[in-house]
Amino acid sequence: MALGGSSAVHIQSSTISSAPPIPRTPSSITIHPVALFSILDHYLRRNDELQPRVIGTLLGTRSPDNTTIHVRSSFAVLHSENEEQVAVDMEYHRTMYELHSRVTPKETIVGWYSTGSNLNTYSALIQNFYSQETAPHQAIHVALNTGAEEGEEAGVQAYVSSPVGVFPKPENCIFVPVPVRLQFQEAERSGLDLLTQTALSPNSTTAQPVTSIANLDATLNTVSQMIDRVLTYVRQVLAGEVEGDKALGRYLMDTLGVAAIGEKGAEDKAFNASLQDTLMISYLANLVRAQAEVSARLALVTS
Amino acid sequence: MSIDLFRSPVWTLPPPPPAAPTYEAIPPSMSKVIDIEAEIPLQVVQLDGLVVTKILKHSREATSATVHGLLLGLDLDGTLEVSNSFALPHHVSDEDEKSAKSSGMRIHDTRRQCCGPYGEVQADDSVVGFYQATSLGAFFNQNLVEIQAIHQDKLRHGGVVIVHDLSLTARGNASFRAFRLTPAFLDAYKKSNFSTSSLVNHRLTFSSILEEIPLQVRTNPLLGSFLGSLTKSTPSLLPDATPETARSSVLPPSFSALDLGTTGLTRNLEQIIEAVDNYRTEEGNLAYLSRQIARERARADMYVAKRKEENAARVAQDLAPLPEEDVARLFKIPAEPSRLESMLLLGQIDAYGKSLESTASSGLIKMYGVRSI
Repeated sequence: MALGGSSAVHIQSSTISSAPPIPRTPSSITIHPVALFSILDHYLRRNDELQPRVIGTLLGTRSPDNTTIHVRSSFAVLHSENEEQVAVDMEYHRTMYELHSRVTPKETIVGWYSTGSNLNTYSALIQNFYSQETAPHQAIHVALNTGAEEGEEAGVQAYVSSPVGVFPKPENCIFVPVPVRLQFQEAERSGLDLLTQTALSPNSTTAQPVTSIANLDATLNTVSQMIDRVLTYVRQVLAGEVEGDKALGRYLMDTLGVAAIGEKGAEDKAFNASLQDTLMISYLANLVRAQAEVSARLALVTS
Repeated sequence: MSIDLFRSPVWTLPPPPPAAPTYEAIPPSMSKVIDIEAEIPLQVVQLDGLVVTKILKHSREATSATVHGLLLGLDLDGTLEVSNSFALPHHVSDEDEKSAKSSGMRIHDTRRQCCGPYGEVQADDSVVGFYQATSLGAFFNQNLVEIQAIHQDKLRHGGVVIVHDLSLTARGNASFRAFRLTPAFLDAYKKSNFSTSSLVNHRLTFSSILEEIPLQVRTNPLLGSFLGSLTKSTPSLLPDATPETARSSVLPPSFSALDLGTTGLTRNLEQIIEAVDNYRTEEGNLAYLSRQIARERARADMYVAKRKEENAARVAQDLAPLPEEDVARLFKIPAEPSRLESMLLLGQIDAYGKSLESTASSGLIKMYGVRSI
């Protein structure tokens, strides 16, 4: 009560004494597809009546200067909310985090996710809780719109929070949007391609394993379709059916100009050398396999 | 009790958790009778999109050469649906005899810990197998066989192992295959008898250790639509964008399969050489052991022959013959060596050869394709 004169003084003193270096606010967030897909899976498995939305914990890493957060994975957390209250099963959250940190020790709690794009008082409360978990860093919130409800577009939004009001209360905060990007390693690319193809195919299933030749065939088909599309467009323009886009024409010109034609003799020579190498390898591979087979059979021969 | 369970942050009164239905455990004597699904043979393994990405991520991030984890899901009507997976932490001490037991224990330990929680968020929580990521198809190893043998004992349908090929994935063709051990191999493994006669009886070669089960990848509609919105391209807002940036999409199409370079070919060749070397060493050991056996046997035979001669002489002199039964006591003929390791090595060589062959053939096609352009 002695300090009761001015609240500003109170805030000033507390920030100086308790939190020496305040970590910088993250300015960009990247998300790994696994995290997103886990969220979708969780959403799909929710109890429809009890949970209009689901929440969970995001795990990831921070860049050294703390400006970028990489969300690497996520797990579901039990929660229930109604008009009066919201409750989160923290015991469960801790157990799961412990399990995850055993496999991937580098990943720490960076924030939480929820489905749907509405932010409300409960969001602020949960955000407040996760801020305690991620202290001294700020917790991030990722809102994933599944696009399952009518009139809503699927998408991902990320936020950091800042307290609002003279006396910050846990149930009040401002969610500040942060740019978010999908990030994965190049080698994981083919897995996503596989899933995209699967999503397009009837029954949403594809048989595995795909041989590399079949894969090559599929890719060549795609390229051929694209060329066909461009060709039809160009023909239409030439016939005067549609008005040509000047920019597009220039892009096509650039692309075709790139295809350099090298010297004839050198090209043939390199081709032949490479051909011999490849044939040699193919021969070797077959030889090795034949030998292995013979060896396995011979092991069965008894005198 | 409810307060304990829902240890919520300070601001709320914890509501009582919804009364979960309690299930009585089926007594072991009855479980076999009730378990109808076990009667239906496994036709196909269905891998959820989530599991595909989870395995990919785990195998990319792991520091060790082999990566494994558990598969969660359920089986229905001959289709094994794998709907989730859990990565297992890597242990350095994955060595021979101990590992079989400890990995089995570990799996069931982790299972208790992790699968309980999965059940609570209504995910499938029964272990149906495990996955392993290797490069260039060298999945034939003792570890896999041991873990799978344990699984096939404990799990319904024996469980499956899903093998993910890292090097193929890096070349733009994500590859997943499902396997399980053949009954013949399992039988021989249980008796831990891999001598030549046992191999002949079971008709075992490296190609009959594992049988492949057809595998499907499935995306649920929600994931499908989400992927659709990720791959949708949107025109750039900038008026003077370059061709690369004119249209942007979160997930642009990729054409890594058209890459002309044959990456990993040298590595593949090196691995073949390594495997062949290992095989030669193993064969050398086997040959040494069998020579030793032959030597011991020859000595025993000689001894028996000598004793017989002696006995004949003694009978001629009307003396009681000496006993012939102590041969087994005098000469310890070592047991025939196990051929499991050499068989697995052959399998490895074959797998490497196969992957080399497919690389070479697709390389040829690409070369001619480029030439005709």
